[in-house]
Amino acid sequence: MNPTLKNIQAGAILKNAHVQFIIFGVILCFLPAIAASGAMKSSTLSTLAFVLIYSIVSIGLNLLLGYSGLVSLGTAGFMGLGAYLAAYFVENLNLSFWLAILAALVVPTIIGVGVGIVSLRVRSIYLAIATLCISEILLKTFEQLEWFTNGTAGKQSHFPVIFGVQTDRAGMFIVIVVALVLIMMLTHNVVHGQLGRALHAMRSSEVAAQAMGVNILKYKLVAFALATMYAGLAGALYLFFLKSSYPSTWNLFLSLNVIAMVVVGGLRSIFGTIAGCFIIVAIPELVLKKLPVIGDINGLPYIFSGVLIVVVIMFFPQGLKGLADLIVVAFRRKGKKQTADELVKSAD
Amino acid sequence: MDMILQPFMRSLETGSVYALAALGIIIVWRTSLVMHFAQGSMGMFGATAVAFVFNRAGAPLWISVLAGVGVAVFLGFGVDFAIIRRLKRATAVGKEIITLGLIMVFLGLAPIIFGTDPMLLPRFIKSGDLNIGSAAISYNGILNIAIGVAVAAVLFLVLQKTKIGLAIRATASNESTARLMGIPTRSVTLFAWALAGVLGMLAGVMIAPSVTVTPTFMNTVQVSALFACVLGGFQTFYGPVIGAYIIAVASNFLKLYVSSVWGDQLMYVMILVFLLFRPNGLIGRTYMQKV
Repeated sequence: MNPTLKNIQAGAILKNAHVQFIIFGVILCFLPAIAASGAMKSSTLSTLAFVLIYSIVSIGLNLLLGYSGLVSLGTAGFMGLGAYLAAYFVENLNLSFWLAILAALVVPTIIGVGVGIVSLRVRSIYLAIATLCISEILLKTFEQLEWFTNGTAGKQSHFPVIFGVQTDRAGMFIVIVVALVLIMMLTHNVVHGQLGRALHAMRSSEVAAQAMGVNILKYKLVAFALATMYAGLAGALYLFFLKSSYPSTWNLFLSLNVIAMVVVGGLRSIFGTIAGCFIIVAIPELVLKKLPVIGDINGLPYIFSGVLIVVVIMFFPQGLKGLADLIVVAFRRKGKKQTADELVKSAD
Repeated sequence: MDMILQPFMRSLETGSVYALAALGIIIVWRTSLVMHFAQGSMGMFGATAVAFVFNRAGAPLWISVLAGVGVAVFLGFGVDFAIIRRLKRATAVGKEIITLGLIMVFLGLAPIIFGTDPMLLPRFIKSGDLNIGSAAISYNGILNIAIGVAVAAVLFLVLQKTKIGLAIRATASNESTARLMGIPTRSVTLFAWALAGVLGMLAGVMIAPSVTVTPTFMNTVQVSALFACVLGGFQTFYGPVIGAYIIAVASNFLKLYVSSVWGDQLMYVMILVFLLFRPNGLIGRTYMQKV
């Protein structure tokens, strides 16, 4: 996202985050056409769609983890809830796409706020344990509540009708891109608004922030509510893109993978998170599976994500964003005699 | 068949399994301030190693368990030595996320090393029931209860009466002060991780005969053990053990008398509601944060 700038005015516009997001989205919208022309495999397009869907979830978790240092292990459960709600609204109740999305946004958020109120009053680690158990409850619900989820047989759905237009795979891809761009803009605004300032203050010192009148519980709750809301939305988009949902999808390891995406991408970075999603979702699918001998091993994606989490936290806590910053510094070094180490120190 | 005593004895058996796993979590939490989310999967790895030695090498069960102890100690040492002690600068959240990453590593490694076929582990005592009134409990069940209680008792004795226990308690109460006083806190932490690995492995071996040894067979144990710590409070070593038995009893009776499908789920919700009223757990004291 850093094209060579012909003149300063264009440069100023391009530096605007919202413009960057829109350009990013417009570029992504060409992907279905590329896939249709045969230059890219159609399965690759699906993988990329999942990268974008998980980007929405990860950006939400990044708000939570990056700013308030809270871990949620319920991401998969909330995503699954969004998916099943969307399916139930469209297939069983014959309601519109928009009402389905609304349900997928609202219901997980309400449950999330309830869990947050219970667990956030003590210490932050309780949220991880409480969301872990909510995730287990939801998983059991998906398996057992047949009238709602169709049990282990899986819930089937169709491509939705949006604004009177029957979508197809390419259409849904563009819907996902639009949703992602909107989420990126919303997140950017949240982070640079009052909520963001409060979260920043809490990040450096909760006690100091509290002394300055920041209601810590309230802002942690809002961050967690946003994260669950994004998860619900992503779940609904997942359902409409894949047209089916099985309980086994929404297990703990999906939640762990989302954490891996955030950690690998770098905390508090929107584009970094999307890059992290690409690494965690697309690399095992597009690269590791095709490797000789080790490509057939089932557990390989798990090990890949797990080892990346450990290695990134141990040696590279800034994630991909930190790596990108280092590369930028290395390029600038010719002009200014500032070493990468110095900038890293000042960034710390 | 007795409808109170019978399920109660069964609950004590599962309670012992949860108690061992919870003890591992609390020891790691107290000594290195890391929430050990990988306790279940490390225990799974150890128990799978036991099943592997037993099924593939044909060794007797007790030799397999000894081999499992070796694997568990090695894993515990390895995790602390290679990862946790190098994390002094990482935040508390960073450490938690590391243990989450470890879950995935062990989950992926187990089928690669031990094969993808599910394995079975037999009971220590093959058959025989003890009749107490109208209730019956297998001798193996009694052994499991005894192991749980004995391990917890020995651990408390060690913690309270020996020099090693004093070192652990000192490290738990304040790591840097303990180090200043000459306590080898690094060795204490190393010991804690190895002990947690062994306890997790034992829990796995005890629950394995009633399930199949697969990479995810310890998930329920992990969740229950974490909840035992929440219920019992993180401030004492014995709180989580009490919590573990309460959870096992509650879960069994809810499954029997309320709903066989939703029993565990009901209990989770009840614990969450309980947290509203006693946020620091049963034995917990109020948690104060110093500025």
